[in-house]
Amino acid sequence: MASPPPSHISVKVAGTELCLLAEKALWWPERRTLLIADLHLGKAAGYRALGQPVPSGTTACNLQRLDALLQRFACQHLVFLGDFLHSAKGRTPQTLAALAEWRTRHAALPITLVRGNHDRHAGDPPAGLGIEVVAEPLALGPFALHHEPCTHPQRHVLAGHVHPAYRLRGRGRQQVRLPCFLVGEHLTLLPSFGSFTGAMTLQPGTGQRVYVIGDGGIWEVPEQLK
Amino acid sequence: MVKRRQPSSRWFAERGWKPFSFQKAVWQAVADGESGLLHAATGAGKTYAVWFAALDRFAGQCASLPTSAGRGKPAMAPLTVLWITPMRALATDTARALQAPLDDLGIAWSIGLRTGDTGSAERARQARRLPSALVTTPESLTLLLTQANAREAFAGLRMLVVDEWHELLGNKRGVQLQLALARLRSWQPSLMVWALSATLGNLEHARQVLMPAGRLVQGHDAKDLRIDTLLPAAIERFPWAGHLGLRMLGQVVEQLEGSATTLVFTNTRSQAETWYQALLQARPDWAGLLALHHGSLSREVRDWVELALKKGQLKAVVCTSSLDLGVDFLPVERVLQVGSAKGVARLMQRAGRSGHAPGRPSRATLVPTHSLELLEAAAARRAVAQGKVEARQAPERPLDVLVQHLVSMALGDGFDAQDMLAEVRSAWSYRDLSETQWAWALAFIRHGGLSLTAYPDFRRAEPDAEGRWRVPDARLARRHRMSIGTLVSDASLTVKFWARGGSGSLGSVEEGFIARLRPGDHFLFAGRTLELVEVRDMTVYVRRASDRKAAIPRWNGGRMPLSGELAEAMLAELDAADPGMYQGPEMRLLRPLLEVQKAWSALPDKNVLLAETLKSREGWHLFLYPFAGRSVHLGLASLLAWRLARDTPLSFSIAVNDYGLELLCASAIDYAGALTPALFDSQDLLPEVLASLNAGELARRRFREIARIAGLVFTGYPGAPKSTRQLQASSGLYFDVFRQHDPDNLLLTQARQEVLSQELDVQRLRQTLQRLQPLPLQLRSIRRATPFAFPLMVERFRESLSSEKLADRIRRMVSDLEQAAGAGAQEPAPLTTLMVEDDTREPGRARKARRSKDGRPRPARQRS
Repeated sequence: MASPPPSHISVKVAGTELCLLAEKALWWPERRTLLIADLHLGKAAGYRALGQPVPSGTTACNLQRLDALLQRFACQHLVFLGDFLHSAKGRTPQTLAALAEWRTRHAALPITLVRGNHDRHAGDPPAGLGIEVVAEPLALGPFALHHEPCTHPQRHVLAGHVHPAYRLRGRGRQQVRLPCFLVGEHLTLLPSFGSFTGAMTLQPGTGQRVYVIGDGGIWEVPEQLK
Repeated sequence: MVKRRQPSSRWFAERGWKPFSFQKAVWQAVADGESGLLHAATGAGKTYAVWFAALDRFAGQCASLPTSAGRGKPAMAPLTVLWITPMRALATDTARALQAPLDDLGIAWSIGLRTGDTGSAERARQARRLPSALVTTPESLTLLLTQANAREAFAGLRMLVVDEWHELLGNKRGVQLQLALARLRSWQPSLMVWALSATLGNLEHARQVLMPAGRLVQGHDAKDLRIDTLLPAAIERFPWAGHLGLRMLGQVVEQLEGSATTLVFTNTRSQAETWYQALLQARPDWAGLLALHHGSLSREVRDWVELALKKGQLKAVVCTSSLDLGVDFLPVERVLQVGSAKGVARLMQRAGRSGHAPGRPSRATLVPTHSLELLEAAAARRAVAQGKVEARQAPERPLDVLVQHLVSMALGDGFDAQDMLAEVRSAWSYRDLSETQWAWALAFIRHGGLSLTAYPDFRRAEPDAEGRWRVPDARLARRHRMSIGTLVSDASLTVKFWARGGSGSLGSVEEGFIARLRPGDHFLFAGRTLELVEVRDMTVYVRRASDRKAAIPRWNGGRMPLSGELAEAMLAELDAADPGMYQGPEMRLLRPLLEVQKAWSALPDKNVLLAETLKSREGWHLFLYPFAGRSVHLGLASLLAWRLARDTPLSFSIAVNDYGLELLCASAIDYAGALTPALFDSQDLLPEVLASLNAGELARRRFREIARIAGLVFTGYPGAPKSTRQLQASSGLYFDVFRQHDPDNLLLTQARQEVLSQELDVQRLRQTLQRLQPLPLQLRSIRRATPFAFPLMVERFRESLSSEKLADRIRRMVSDLEQAAGAGAQEPAPLTTLMVEDDTREPGRARKARRSKDGRPRPARQRS
C-alpha cells in the first residue's frame, strides 16, 4: 500500500491516446495539448463583491496548479473548455492582475478558450492576455471541443460544463464521492478544474467508463454488473 | 382600587364564571408590577389569565383618562402589550381571542397582527401607529426593531407576553427573542414579561432565561390524560425501522370508526402522506371526511383543514407536528400517535389536543409501527404516569444569532458599541459573552472577520463619524431585512398543477426529491398521486395521475431523537423483563422477541455493557445498546470509531438509532480486544469528539445552517430564486474553501460547537460514557443479527469515519468492485508503466532543474 497513487491513466479515444491526469486535466500527447475545463476564475471574488464572504486564495491556488501542469508537460497548446471566467462581477482588478501576471510567465504559449455559458455572461478575457476565443465546437484532430456536452456527427466530443462526480462504493458500506472523467464512445466529460467549484453526481450509462480522482491519484472504476 | 371596575371581574361576572386561582394569582402579580412564568396545560385558561391581568392594570387606567382625540370615537390606546407567538398560524386565532373581551367591555384598545403574512396596507397603517396590543412572531418583532423610529413607537410598551415559550426556549428563535427583549428592556426598564409554558422538566430555567426575577405560577393540575396502546395481533421478531407500520391499518380504521373527530399524528411528512393515502384506500367512502395536514402543504390547504376541524366537519386528520400547537380544536375527541412520539412532553402535548370540553379526558392511543415501539409505548406510559418530563435548555452564546442581531440593530437608529455590549449581556444566553467574542462579532459585521484573511469587500455595518454603528449600504440593508430569521430549510420548489392560466400552489417539496424524478414519474403529494410534467423557474408542474406505485417525497429534518427521559424508562422496562417479568400488555406481547434476543445474545441492561460482534460479507460489525437516543449515539459511535482508528488506519461506516449503534469496519478488527474501559474514557472528551467530527462529515453538513444564519450564505428573497438555488447548493463548497483558506474562522469553530451541543448532545454523551465505562462487558459473538441488531444493520442512512488515506480507501473500493465483477469480468487495463514525463519531456527541461526554479509550492503533487 506504500506505492504512490497513480498520477494518470492513458486511454484510447477515437483512435488517439489521451492521458487523464489526476490533476483534473487532460493531456493529449500527440498534439502536446493540455485541456482544462471549468476553471471559473474570479468566482470567489464575484461572491465577495456581492457581499458573500469567501476566503481569498482560490485564484492563486488555481493558477499555481496550472503552473505545476505547465512545468510538468512540454505543452504547445493550452485549451480551456469553457467557463474560464465565472461572472462579470468576478472580473475584479486583483483577479485580472493575477491572471495577467500568470500570463507573462507563459507568454509564448498559445491559449484557446472555447466559449462556455459563463463566458458569455462574464465576457471574453481581456485582449491583453492573448487568449484566442472561439465558439464551440472547435475541431481539433478527431475531436470536437465543446463546453456543453452534445453529440457531433463525425467527431468525438470533449466537453466540460457538468462538473461530473461519481459515488464510489465498496465493502463495509463504504462510499465516497469523487470528481471524475467520464469516457464514452462519442463523448468524454472532463472534471471541473477550478478550486471553488462544485460537482454533480452522475450515473454512467452503458459503455461509459468512469475514472475517479482523489488524493492526487486517478483510478478506473471497474464496470459494474447492471 | 375599586375591584368592581376591573375588566376581569366585570367580564367573568357577566358570564357567571369563577376565575381559577392561578388566574387570580397572575392578576395580582401584574397588579404588583411583577413578571413571571405561568405554567398550565393547553386549554386551561392561560390566555385570559395574562390578558385580563394586562387589561386590569393598563386598560382600567386608560379608560379613565380623558380621551385626547376630541369627542367622536375614543382614541385607541397606544402600543401597550406585545404578544409573541411561535407560529404565524396561531396569530390570527390569538388576536381573535384577545379581541373578544374588548368588544364586550367596550375597551378602547385595538388589536393588530404582524407576521410574515401581514399585507402591505396593514404594514403601512402600523407604520403610522401601532395597535394597543400587537400579536407577532420573534422574527417580525426583530424586523419592527430595525425601523428608525422604533424607540418612539415602542415608548408606551408595558408588557411582553410570550405564548408557548417552551417551543422557543431551546432554539435560536428563542435566543433571537431574548435579544429583542434586551433591547426593549433597555428602553423600558420596568417592562413586565410574562411567559406561558406547557409542562417542562425545568420550569425555573425557562423563567430565568426571560427574566432575572419573577414569579412561577402553577396552573391547576394537568387534566386527565389517558394513554393506551393499540396492540397488533402478532409481532414480527425482526423489527425493521423503515417499516411504516401499515400492518396496523385495519385496526386504525376500526378505531376511527368508533370515535368522533380524531387527530392521527405521524412523525414525518412522508409518513403522513402514506397513511392518508392508505386510509382513503381502505375507506373510499371517507373521501371528504378525511384530511391531511403538514408543513409543506400550502397555507390555503392548511387553513381549510383547520377551519373544517373547528367546525367538526372532519372524521379524522392525518397530521405531523404542524398541529402540535395552536388553537383548540374543540371537536377533537381522540388522538392516535403513529410510531413513537419520542418524548414524554411531546406525547402529553399531542394527547392534550383532544378532549377540550370540560370534564372530558384527553385520550391518546399509541400505534406502534415496529415491534420495539411496543417497548417505547410501555415506557412512555410509565414516564407519563411518573410525570418525568423533558427539560429544555436555552442555547449558550450562539454567535451567528448575535451577528445577525447586531446588523439588525445597526439598521434602525444604529448603536453604540459599549451600550450594546451591556444590553447583549443582559440576555441570558449571552450573560458570559467574553470581550474577545464581542470584538470578533463587531469585526465580523465590519469586514468579515478578525483574521488576516478578512474580507475587505464584505461590510454590513460600521461605525459612522460619531462612532455609531450603522448599515451604510441600502442594498445590503434590504437584503438583511429579507433574511432575518433563524429557521433553515433546504431549497424547496412550489408544486402547481400544469394548466394554462395558472393555478394555486399545492405546497412545496424539497429540491433533492424532485431531482431524482423524471418527467412522467409519479409521486404522492398533498394526498394525491401526481405526475411530474416539468420543472421550470423553481416550480414543479404536475398533473393528476392514477398510479398506486408512486414515490413518496422524503423531507429532511423529520427525525426526532428519543428523549433521555423516555430512554431511561425503556431501560427500566427491560430491567424488569430480564428476570422474566413481563408486565403490561405491551411487554407481554413483546415477550417472544425479547426471548429470542435473550437466547441468541442477551437483553440490553443498565448493569452490564452488552456488545455484539458479527462477521458478515459486508465486514466486521459491532453493536452496542446504550439507549441514550440517536444524537448521543452518533457522537458516541464517532468517538469510538475515531479512537479505534487512531493507531491503525481503518474506515468505519456508522449506523445509529435511538436504542443503539453499529460500527461496521471494512477490514479485519478485533473488537473484543479493543473494548477496554479506556475506549469509554471521558477525560479528554471535547478535543477528541472534535477530532472525530473532522474525520467524518458531520461538521460539513451542519455548516449550511450556521453559514445561513451568520449571513455567509444568503438564501435569497422573493423574486430571486435563482441565487437561492446557487448559494444553497454550495454551502458544502463554502465549508471546504473556508477550511482550506481560513481555518481559524470563528464561524467554523462555532459550526463544530453546534454539532457538539445540539447534534451530539455532548453533555449527555459525557454522562453516557461515565455510565458505560465502569460496567462489566458482556461480549456476545453472534452468528446472525439479533432483534436489536437487525434495525441497525438495515439502516441505510449512515455516517462514515476514516483514518485511512483517501488513496488507500479508493484503491480498496476499486479492488472490491473488481472482485464483485468476478473472474469472468474483463481485466482492468493495466496502467501504463511509462511516466507521462518520459513521453513528453523535452531535452533541457529536466525535472530537477525545474523543481529549483522558483521554489513555488506545488499543491497538487506534494505526495510524491
